[in-house]
Amino acid sequence: MIFDEVYSVLTAYLPPKVDLVLSVLVTFVLALIVMIATPIILGWVDRKFSARIQSRYGPIYVGKFGILQNFADVVKLMGKNFVTNRYVDKFSYNIIPILSSILSFLIISLLPLGSSGLVFVSLPYNLLFIYILLAFSPLLIIIASWGENNKFAVLGGFRSAAQITTYELALIVTFISVGMLNGSYDIISIINSQSFIWNILYLPLTAIIFFIGSLAVIERAPFDLPESSQELQAGWRIEYSGLKYGLFLIGDYVKLLAVSIIFVSLFLGGWSGAFLPGIIWFWIKTIIVLMLLMSLRWTLGRPRIDQLLSIGWRWLLPLSVINLIIVEIVMLI
Amino acid sequence: MSEFIDSLIKISPKSLKISDDKVAVELADKKKLLKVCEKIKRKFDILFMLVVVDRPPNFELNYIFSKYEGKDTFILRTIIKHEDTIDSITKIFPSADWEEREAYDLFGIKFEGHHNLKRILLPEDWPGHPLRKDFVITDEVKNWTGLDLKF
Amino acid sequence: MEGKGIELNIGPVHPATHGVLKLVADIEADTVKNAEVEIGFLHRGKEKTAELRYFNSYFPIVDKLDYVGALNWEILWASTVEKAMNIETNERVKYIRTIMAEMQRIMSHLVYIGAFGQDLGNLTFFVWALRERELLMDIVEEISGGRLAPMYNRVGGVFYDFTDGIVEKIDSALLRIEEKVKKEYKAMTYENSLFMMRSKGIGIMSQKIIKDNGVTGPNMRAGGIKRDLRKDEPYLAYDKVDFDIITEEESDVYARFMVRIREILESIKIIRQLLKSIPEGDVKISTPWIMKVPPGYTFVRHEMSKGEGAMFLVTDGGLKPYRLKIRSPSFYSLQALPLILEGCKVADAFAITASIDPVMGEVDR
Repeated sequence: MIFDEVYSVLTAYLPPKVDLVLSVLVTFVLALIVMIATPIILGWVDRKFSARIQSRYGPIYVGKFGILQNFADVVKLMGKNFVTNRYVDKFSYNIIPILSSILSFLIISLLPLGSSGLVFVSLPYNLLFIYILLAFSPLLIIIASWGENNKFAVLGGFRSAAQITTYELALIVTFISVGMLNGSYDIISIINSQSFIWNILYLPLTAIIFFIGSLAVIERAPFDLPESSQELQAGWRIEYSGLKYGLFLIGDYVKLLAVSIIFVSLFLGGWSGAFLPGIIWFWIKTIIVLMLLMSLRWTLGRPRIDQLLSIGWRWLLPLSVINLIIVEIVMLI
Repeated sequence: MSEFIDSLIKISPKSLKISDDKVAVELADKKKLLKVCEKIKRKFDILFMLVVVDRPPNFELNYIFSKYEGKDTFILRTIIKHEDTIDSITKIFPSADWEEREAYDLFGIKFEGHHNLKRILLPEDWPGHPLRKDFVITDEVKNWTGLDLKF
Repeated sequence: MEGKGIELNIGPVHPATHGVLKLVADIEADTVKNAEVEIGFLHRGKEKTAELRYFNSYFPIVDKLDYVGALNWEILWASTVEKAMNIETNERVKYIRTIMAEMQRIMSHLVYIGAFGQDLGNLTFFVWALRERELLMDIVEEISGGRLAPMYNRVGGVFYDFTDGIVEKIDSALLRIEEKVKKEYKAMTYENSLFMMRSKGIGIMSQKIIKDNGVTGPNMRAGGIKRDLRKDEPYLAYDKVDFDIITEEESDVYARFMVRIREILESIKIIRQLLKSIPEGDVKISTPWIMKVPPGYTFVRHEMSKGEGAMFLVTDGGLKPYRLKIRSPSFYSLQALPLILEGCKVADAFAITASIDPVMGEVDR
């Protein structure tokens, strides 16, 4: 854990008790930096990458290659007026952006960020815990959409709930498959157990199911039906603006990073790799997965909600269950 | 085409005649409109346009019919008084639906038997019918805000 | 499902309604029970304005009718006044106008297919389509000095002749568009399984609906009716070129999209033939700027990018029109929209609305 490392450094210089308090603070600040830097950097990469795909320049004016554009945007979001519709339910309207961004931050704090020591919170069953956190979001979305008191928001909220519950089922089955294969629900031990052969070679189908399912669960395009801007304008986020909307965006990018880290950890062997140090391998893989996720967003249109649900129920869920049974049989043999 | 016009005129030789400029057939008796249109429907598919020309104190309605094969068009012209109503031809030519609403909107011609005769381009509470030649921009038009409309 | 549905107001400010169209849809669960179309939010009284302007001064107004197909309407207005005055333009003007009209048709169709891709959630495709449109925009700009509203035509001719070397530029632009349409667009849209999943089998406009509502143009040709004014009633230089009328059978959203894609290729064919045989001549004839038009009725119709556009001009021998009536093809397509929206899914409603290509400037006039 990062806290242990910080504590071991600080304890050499500081009197007891003070070092404990100070290392808690330092860890907290580090976590904050990671969480704020992630969406800003990822946002820039996304904008630049999408611009390349679309034959545009993307941000170029703020900083070299426009790299400071997203900092400027964050400042702009902070400076915006809080516009609250008269008809919204104030409590749920205000609490949801905060809860939803905390949720995404919790997910990333459970994940290893490059090596077994680089993790903010280490729990023994952290894979299951991540699943629980992902399963929370439809609840929040339903509350948000209902509280906004807007027809488009309600439509988006129901779509979102239907979509996430469908694909979460497929997702948990893939988690179980991986857990059974490696004999653990701890991400770090899963990574360590695939130091020779990556899970994707054993479980290619599971990897694909996870890839599709995770895109749907984090509502990333092409599965961004709940907030599809061309149909429902912004779906369940329609009444949000300014910093509150910014919190959703931040949460989105953090979730995107979290999903690619989970994918790398579960299927691509985490930090295992030859020649280069583990942490570099880890981030190379993560960036490749991220780019893949992003390029999907910019090249595919979105399916209709009933088509999406029927893919989920008819194909992904049965396939993942069959896959699970096969893994079980193989493990028994 | 000329055979068609001849056969059309046979329906009512008293009220139908070829217009002076030779481009249209004039219908003098507006009560015969539906009957004539039924005959036209046998040869033409759609009402291509409905052109209302305001020549005070009359309205001149040019019904232009067209079809989906070939290049034939046919113009039926009828003249009504400003305060008169006329039969709607939507039952025979459904494509006249919005055209008649537009004529009602911009000229104030009432079409009898239209299923949904309300304004189409202008707001519900717009004062007057702007394409009439006698339309003047009164204070009511100048001060119109659109805020009086009840939803 | 029993119970009262939701009445959903879509528009007039909504990203998918292509301007200021308003749909009032009664939805139950995820199905549109019935929809009502409200138009008129962009009404600028163009027909009234015509009665207040000289004939040549009306071109800028015509330009803003269909703001993605401005040249088509300009040429229609010029032809109408020329027919009313009994002027015959010389051959070169006819050729130039035909080439410009076809380029405008390609640009209009590119906007359509881009906006349609965007309505299915694919923003990249929108940017790509605009990228290809930009090539032609630059050419129109070089010839006429304007981009969206070129104001290139006048009664009796056009303002400027083709510039030097423009033929090669048009050729290379067409080559590039043809390549993109055949390769990139194919991968991205019309052979993409996700795209086909979304667009096939929805919004079917039967031949009865087409004929009842007077739908014309690509929307009609997607329903298997073989009709094109360029062929059936040749105007300008269309009788000198060889091209096919594009038709599709299914009449669904996908068919309407495919008609446009194939019409782009057909227009490219037309322009290439015209560029080879363009005659020499003077582009202007000496009509005065302000002139009198003999009294009478003039009716001209052309094939626009959206369908059959027509103008009915009534003159009384004065300096200004007595009455001008504009037939906009989108107006009639929108009239059919509620009928094909009935019973579709909410998400499809937007795809269907986009597929009939309404341009509100033209509808509301």
